Amino acid sequence: MGPLTVRGLTKRYGDVAALTDLSLEVRAGELFGFVGRNGAGKTTTMRIVLGVLAADAGEVTFAGTALTFEARRRIGYMPEERGLYPKMRVAEQLRYLGELHGMTGADARASATRWLERFGLQERRDDELQSLSLGNQQRIQLAAALVFAPELLVLDEPFAGLDPLAVDVMSAVLREQADAGIPVIFSSHELELVERVCDRVGIIDRGKMVASGTVDELRAGARERRRVDVPGAADDWDAGVPGATLLESDGSSRVFELDPGVDDQSLLQAALATGPVRAFERVEPSLGELFRTVIGEAGA
Amino acid sequence: MTARSWSLGGARRLPATLLVARREIRMRLRSRVFVGGTSVMAVLVVVGIVAASLLAGRTTPVRVGFSGGSQALERSFTATAAALGVEVTVSDIADVTAGTAQVTAGTLDVLVTGSATAPTAVAKESMPSNVESALSLAAEAARLSDAGLSPTAIASAMALVPVQLLAPPNPKDNENLFASLALGILLWIALGQYGNMVAQGVVEEKATRIMEVLLATIQPSRLLAGKVIGTGLVGLLQLTIVGTAALVAVHVTNVAAIPALGVASILADISWFLLGFLFYATAYAAVASLVSRQEEVQGAVAPISIFQIAGYLLMYAALPNPSGPLATVCSLLPPFAPILMAVRMADSDVPFWQVGLAVALIVASIVGLTWLAGRMYRNAALHLGTRVRFMDAFRG
Repeated sequence: MGPLTVRGLTKRYGDVAALTDLSLEVRAGELFGFVGRNGAGKTTTMRIVLGVLAADAGEVTFAGTALTFEARRRIGYMPEERGLYPKMRVAEQLRYLGELHGMTGADARASATRWLERFGLQERRDDELQSLSLGNQQRIQLAAALVFAPELLVLDEPFAGLDPLAVDVMSAVLREQADAGIPVIFSSHELELVERVCDRVGIIDRGKMVASGTVDELRAGARERRRVDVPGAADDWDAGVPGATLLESDGSSRVFELDPGVDDQSLLQAALATGPVRAFERVEPSLGELFRTVIGEAGA
Repeated sequence: MTARSWSLGGARRLPATLLVARREIRMRLRSRVFVGGTSVMAVLVVVGIVAASLLAGRTTPVRVGFSGGSQALERSFTATAAALGVEVTVSDIADVTAGTAQVTAGTLDVLVTGSATAPTAVAKESMPSNVESALSLAAEAARLSDAGLSPTAIASAMALVPVQLLAPPNPKDNENLFASLALGILLWIALGQYGNMVAQGVVEEKATRIMEVLLATIQPSRLLAGKVIGTGLVGLLQLTIVGTAALVAVHVTNVAAIPALGVASILADISWFLLGFLFYATAYAAVASLVSRQEEVQGAVAPISIFQIAGYLLMYAALPNPSGPLATVCSLLPPFAPILMAVRMADSDVPFWQVGLAVALIVASIVGLTWLAGRMYRNAALHLGTRVRFMDAFRG
């Protein structure tokens, strides 16, 4: 199934440009992480994909055809603002949502039961949602997005507010869905988690997609880093090295970022000149560091 | 489980509107508010009717006892009293003293003694004049019979004067006034109550944030229609329960005549309730979508409530003259028609074209309102927090 393709989305709220020519693609069986600061346009993008918001320009296609209302009913959606009926019974609620998404009553009931068993909430099936703990309510919210066996998953901040156990359940379920061939896109502020879970990442800033690809691809576009450990070195031993910027220092250990085209051997020579070098290694920037770099450049 | 036993469509896919309506009905029927509210309403209505019947008092027949020779008058007295429009019961009294004691005690209203041709009547405080006339006429007939006249001659001699009325009152007028007023009040309460229920349901979906999940899978107009239909059917059920309790109470206490309660008039009332409900509930839903919290609902629906209150007041103004210009014009206007036209139809004969015009106007308004409400719903439903201005919701 898939891919989900978003091309050239533009959306304005009055004088504010929420999205400018935003494009992205989520392939079948892929977990796509959507990261950006608050107000960058993640929720707006997802709402447009779901059809609850209309774009000023651009198109959204799934498996090559424009998303119709009927096709959108096959999308599993978890909005940023969570919401279910507090006074409705858990199993009844899942069944209702399954039927609204086009399942028969019998299928919806069976699927609701499966998901409740999966989350260990079978014995709470006839309880009102509001009587469940917050963590369990979040599990039900996920089940609500999955109960009708969606062909595409769009989840806005699915990890927000989850306890560590729920985070594990959530990431396992998302992986499972992607492995079953479903394109999954979710937004998150938890960059470490995104790095760990996602196949590909898109970074959005002020309504524009500023970088996208696998984390390795993003790294390939970033500057090289070296960690150098020279115990007993002079404080300013690195002052004269051209093209090397000190990022952080921890005791005698320092991390440098090299300008494009700079040879790391000049940094090593400078280090050797000040004392015995205990470590000289390549450092991979985390997604968080990449994110800050990309956003910093975009903002400059 | 109850939820399973009356569920629809196990192996079928139901249209989204129907699913929404079904959920609405289930949740409402299950709620304590509905069960308790319906019971309280039914009890209040029955208590009110019983109290009214006790206060009004029943028209009991006048009890007349005959003793001795006057007992020969019993048959002709009963017939004459009936002709004069008095309801009487007659009994034989063996002993005059005992009969007098009964009159004193109040268990007998009138005691007749003496002979058939010269009877004497004994009463406690006053003698009902019609009873006195009937007794006099019966005694006179007895004297004529004694004088040798044949029964036919007596009948023609004593025939009552025929009366011709040039402008007889409409028999529906007074008899139906009570019922029409009750119907109007009931409709008014029902429209307000169920309209508010829809408004609160809309805000509940906004406040609990489930709206966005719903709107991703169902068009706003269908969500709205399902909500309105579900709540309307629940309202109809509640009205039927309370209405049945009221009818039974009226029938048992005999406090008022149940006027022309043919199938046609019941259907007309139900139709006006449904049309009025669709009109007001759609309007309520539209304005409710502008706010995000239950506390703001009352303020938001206030402009619509004004029309309802106006309709209620117009009902009192129009009832005394249901065919006058005020009643006629107002009963055609969609906001007032559900109450005024229903009341007019119960109270008098309304020309067919007026009913048809009123129905056409309100149906057209409902279609227009649904379009408007769907548009406002789409634009305002995802806007949480501050209240959305009407024109912003309209323009989108």
